[in-house]
Amino acid sequence: MDYLITGFSHVLNPITILWVTVGVTLGYVLGALPGLGKATGVAVAIPMTFYLDPVTAIAMLIGIAKGSGAGSAVSAILLNTPGEPSSAPTALDGYPLARQGKAQKALKMGLFASVIGDFISTLVLIVLAAPLARYALLIGPIELCAILLFSLTFIGGLAGKSLIKGLIAAAFGVFFATVGLETETFIPRLTFDILELDSGISLVPMAIGMLAIAEMIVQAGNMKKLDAETANMYSKGRKKEDNIVTASDWRRSLPAIFRGTLIGSIVGILPGLGASVGSFLSYGATKKASKTPEKFGTGMIEGIAAAESADNAVVPSSFIPLFALGIPGSVIAAILIAAFVLHGLTPGPQMFQKQPQMVADIYAAMLCASVILLAVGYAGQRLFSQIIRVPIRLIIPGVMFLCCIGAYMETSSVFSIYVMLFFTVIGFIARKLDFSFVTFLIGFVIGPNLELTFRQAIQILDQKAINLIHHPIAIIFIILTMVTVVWIARGSGSSKRAAKAAEVDKQTKTNKEGET
Amino acid sequence: MRRADIISGMVLIVFGLVMLFIVIPTQIDTAPDGFVSPSLVPNMMMILITFLAGLLIITTIRNKAKDTQEDTAPPISKAELLAFLKLGSVFAVALMLYLWVAPLAAGIAIIVGSLVALGERRPLIIIVMPTLILFGIWLLFYKLLGTAIV
Repeated sequence: MDYLITGFSHVLNPITILWVTVGVTLGYVLGALPGLGKATGVAVAIPMTFYLDPVTAIAMLIGIAKGSGAGSAVSAILLNTPGEPSSAPTALDGYPLARQGKAQKALKMGLFASVIGDFISTLVLIVLAAPLARYALLIGPIELCAILLFSLTFIGGLAGKSLIKGLIAAAFGVFFATVGLETETFIPRLTFDILELDSGISLVPMAIGMLAIAEMIVQAGNMKKLDAETANMYSKGRKKEDNIVTASDWRRSLPAIFRGTLIGSIVGILPGLGASVGSFLSYGATKKASKTPEKFGTGMIEGIAAAESADNAVVPSSFIPLFALGIPGSVIAAILIAAFVLHGLTPGPQMFQKQPQMVADIYAAMLCASVILLAVGYAGQRLFSQIIRVPIRLIIPGVMFLCCIGAYMETSSVFSIYVMLFFTVIGFIARKLDFSFVTFLIGFVIGPNLELTFRQAIQILDQKAINLIHHPIAIIFIILTMVTVVWIARGSGSSKRAAKAAEVDKQTKTNKEGET
Repeated sequence: MRRADIISGMVLIVFGLVMLFIVIPTQIDTAPDGFVSPSLVPNMMMILITFLAGLLIITTIRNKAKDTQEDTAPPISKAELLAFLKLGSVFAVALMLYLWVAPLAAGIAIIVGSLVALGERRPLIIIVMPTLILFGIWLLFYKLLGTAIV
């Protein structure tokens, strides 16, 4: 605690606060630009920190990560083009709300949920980093494989309207993740003698193609309708409640925020799951807990709260395995290792003993960054919400250009653009045929870990399923997976029946009205 | 969506079988003794996809609900298909310019091409928009972040 108080005295000086504010603002803008995510932002900004002192440098980079995590909700809500897969569930309810003329309300809730999730998760990091990391060691390959399988099934079942289609999409995601050199034998798989494919398919161009460009094409096809909606939206008088988060919105969203923060914090601690899994699990859990799950996807504010709180809670808690064990829990944590080492801090259990003050300084900077994020986001959202007024035909070219830059920068090769375009086609078809492209992406993200842990599990279990008896955590998650499949299948069946009954009811009413 | 589901299910079955019996065996070598086969997971995924695609067809056919408007309407509208072709052509032109002229020409082609393809005809917008976007990107990456894109 003494270290933390001293840490605040080190951080609360004009220079450090200025650089954290620059980092948060830069991250927020980069996150809000479709195609440029937090990984790109932090990776690009590392050289900028060469001349800063270690704490200021790391605080600024963490500020970028936090800012872009919250900023990615902006493009998801306003343009339905999440820059990162983890913001995709935010778009499910955020975009419909924006189209109803409630863009500012959606942006504000996204920001508040992000900041609360991020702040609480940072506190979790401070209080529980060392003890929780010990428990994380109990999760071996067999347990992790079972957890990943459960997450994929749960998300696959909840992401789209059909469990079968969700699972097909997830299987495709895992399948595409197997492209490239196999990690044990280094045998190339499905590379078709293309050298660039040896290192596998890159996530960033794939995600940009599927999420952003494909959405832009769909919007281009519905341009007249969308512009008419916008004109109609602003010709009508606007209510004050449409721009603010009301007490009723808070009542509905607070449980979702706390649930999302809890899910995001747990997901962040487990290496390999990532923010996408966290935000989708949280969105799914809130949908299932709701009394009106059928209304999700039409502009439910708690959907935004659930997704954003979990998405942002993952970032600080993913530092727990990094700080306590030296294992990066996310892509962003992996990139930050380079920055930590560059500035003389080696992540791992020894840093608590060797450099306790520096760790405390970073904790203090992270908490300050959360508060600064609230101020920057609140100031920026009014400006960003004006984007919805711009005609679609003027938005699409800019977004497409930014997407190309984002994809290109990943490898500095035109091959990334080919990958982006290939997955644009797949994303477009998947959208139109109602296959969940988000489940596909999550399958792709966790695919390498799923395969690796599966192969390790086969070897550890000596190819005998009976040996699972010694792994109760894995058994629990396998049972949960099976229960989830049955639960979702039954749930979708009953919701279809309910929808059909409602349709019949509506038809009967119309007939009666016709008769009278 | 009913007809589209059946067709997509059939396409996925054919795709799965082609991958299982032709592509995966020819594209993935066998592993040395003692290693788990590298084609294990790709094969598993394709078997799963083929099985689920079959299940999709069966469940769609078994669903005896009357054809509604959604069922009979094609999943991709004519306007969406047209937008797909227009923006696809813009990317094709931009790629050619990237390979044969310069990355900057490709960037301008993407912005101007898509503006024109989407119906923008005001010369001021067509000139000012690419200028502002390119200047903004140059400022952000080359000056503020101090890094090069190309």
